[in-house]
Amino acid sequence: MTSPADDDASSRYVSTGPLVWVATLAITTLLLLALKQALWLVVPFLVAVVVYYALFPPVHRLMLAGVHRSAAATIVAGAFVVAAILALVPAVMWSAAHAVSGQEAFYRYLDAGRVLIGKTLAMLEARFGFLERMHFHDQVERRMAEFGESNLQQQIASALLGAAAWLPSLLLAPFFAYFFLRDGQRFFKFVGAAVPNAYFERTLYMLERFDTTARAYFQGLLGLAAIDTVCMGLGLWVIGIPNALMLGAVTAVLSWVPVIGPFIGAILVVLVTATDFPNQPELVYAAIALLVSMRLLDDFVFMPLTVGRSLRMHPLPTVLLIFIGGAVAGVPGLILALPLAGLVMVIVGTIGGILDDPRLRARHAFAKRLRAQRITADLGSND
Amino acid sequence: MVALFRNAREAPRLRIVRQLPLFATLSRRELRVVDSLLHERRYLKGEVIFDAGEHGQALYVIVAGRVLICRQGQPDAGRVAELDAGLVFGELALLDNAPRAAQARAAEDCALASLSRTDFESLLDTHAIAASKIALQLARQLGRQLREQDLMSERRSL
Repeated sequence: MTSPADDDASSRYVSTGPLVWVATLAITTLLLLALKQALWLVVPFLVAVVVYYALFPPVHRLMLAGVHRSAAATIVAGAFVVAAILALVPAVMWSAAHAVSGQEAFYRYLDAGRVLIGKTLAMLEARFGFLERMHFHDQVERRMAEFGESNLQQQIASALLGAAAWLPSLLLAPFFAYFFLRDGQRFFKFVGAAVPNAYFERTLYMLERFDTTARAYFQGLLGLAAIDTVCMGLGLWVIGIPNALMLGAVTAVLSWVPVIGPFIGAILVVLVTATDFPNQPELVYAAIALLVSMRLLDDFVFMPLTVGRSLRMHPLPTVLLIFIGGAVAGVPGLILALPLAGLVMVIVGTIGGILDDPRLRARHAFAKRLRAQRITADLGSND
Repeated sequence: MVALFRNAREAPRLRIVRQLPLFATLSRRELRVVDSLLHERRYLKGEVIFDAGEHGQALYVIVAGRVLICRQGQPDAGRVAELDAGLVFGELALLDNAPRAAQARAAEDCALASLSRTDFESLLDTHAIAASKIALQLARQLGRQLREQDLMSERRSL
């Protein structure tokens, strides 16, 4: 929460005019283009930032108990790595053991999806005569056949291969997170030392806002995932769908990817429901209704309460940024666009504030003159 | 003897920080924590450190040199105080969130250690004992300054 004094400083120190917005959009787009070339580094970095903000509260608690920051970071990061190994090893072993049955399950879910689409289209044709006249059901079936199972298999295989290629670089994430936890403060000191005296306090203010924005965004994201997991899990459990909490957690994490994430999560839930309850389409419709309700709750209630507060951005440029991110850098661009724009806006706004302040620039010019005079004091002319 | 060995192992920078009255009562461990938060700044004689009316983001401790506190833009006529090495300034803006009450200029070339508002507040959270020691030293300096101002106004009225 910001104090009135902080709001006062924000209104005086940070420029928020249309030029700042345009510059923010332009710089974010350029950064996304640049980051696209180094996605192997950007993705683990992003995961590390999420892990950093997830682990910061326990590190903070240890520091409150009197543990030094380095020791607290080592203890918490170590515990995280051990917990991750303990969770991943059985998961990998289980996946390897169930690879064949997993493949069978995949086809089962796919068939159930097909049956569900067929039943729904038949129902729609029965209700709406124009659809029957169009042979809508047949057309969709034909299109699905044209797309073909082998095509889908290829798509999934390439997606899995792509994911496998990410795995080694993802191992960097815990290392990054550990060093963020241990040396984050040094980075701020380093940046503070690099700026001229006249801009020192503005830089301190910018760094504070930078950290607050990033922390609020990523902790908001984690909070949103927790709320989504509980609400979705509860809703699916009420409908009677098995593994409700796990499905809720998967859809919650998928919804971190704007636009396509919730869509993939919805397909997953619908396929699972259609497979487990092939003769009860009403359950599938209930699950769809739940997904739509959750989407609305997310967009209008939970998101503004958690992530939305952090960036202080108008919905219009927010939507624009998401689409630019997707167009420029694909799925990582969709994920990165908003936090990146929020941070760029802090920097651009602060620089704009400095450019708008002639007194600060005059102080800097005066300090430069003083230094120049000092350096050249003994270089008088020998005429 | 123990102190001798302790000082021998202490980094030169830490020794300098320990000599500042604001941090003199801190243990070595606390000193290391505080030192990791301090920003080092150097100003030339005449350079403005901050202006009156600015929203203060940091307090400053004079490590070397002297600092002039004056009314905005009046280094001669509006002189409020001249502070020597070891003293703190800019702390009021941090304590009461108010804009800077006066201008600060380097009266001579000086080296300052700066503690940001965010770091001071997080220190209050994470290292409450160290923060309370610093706050006590700040209160002592403020008390001294108040007494000196009282004396000065008494002399003027006489």
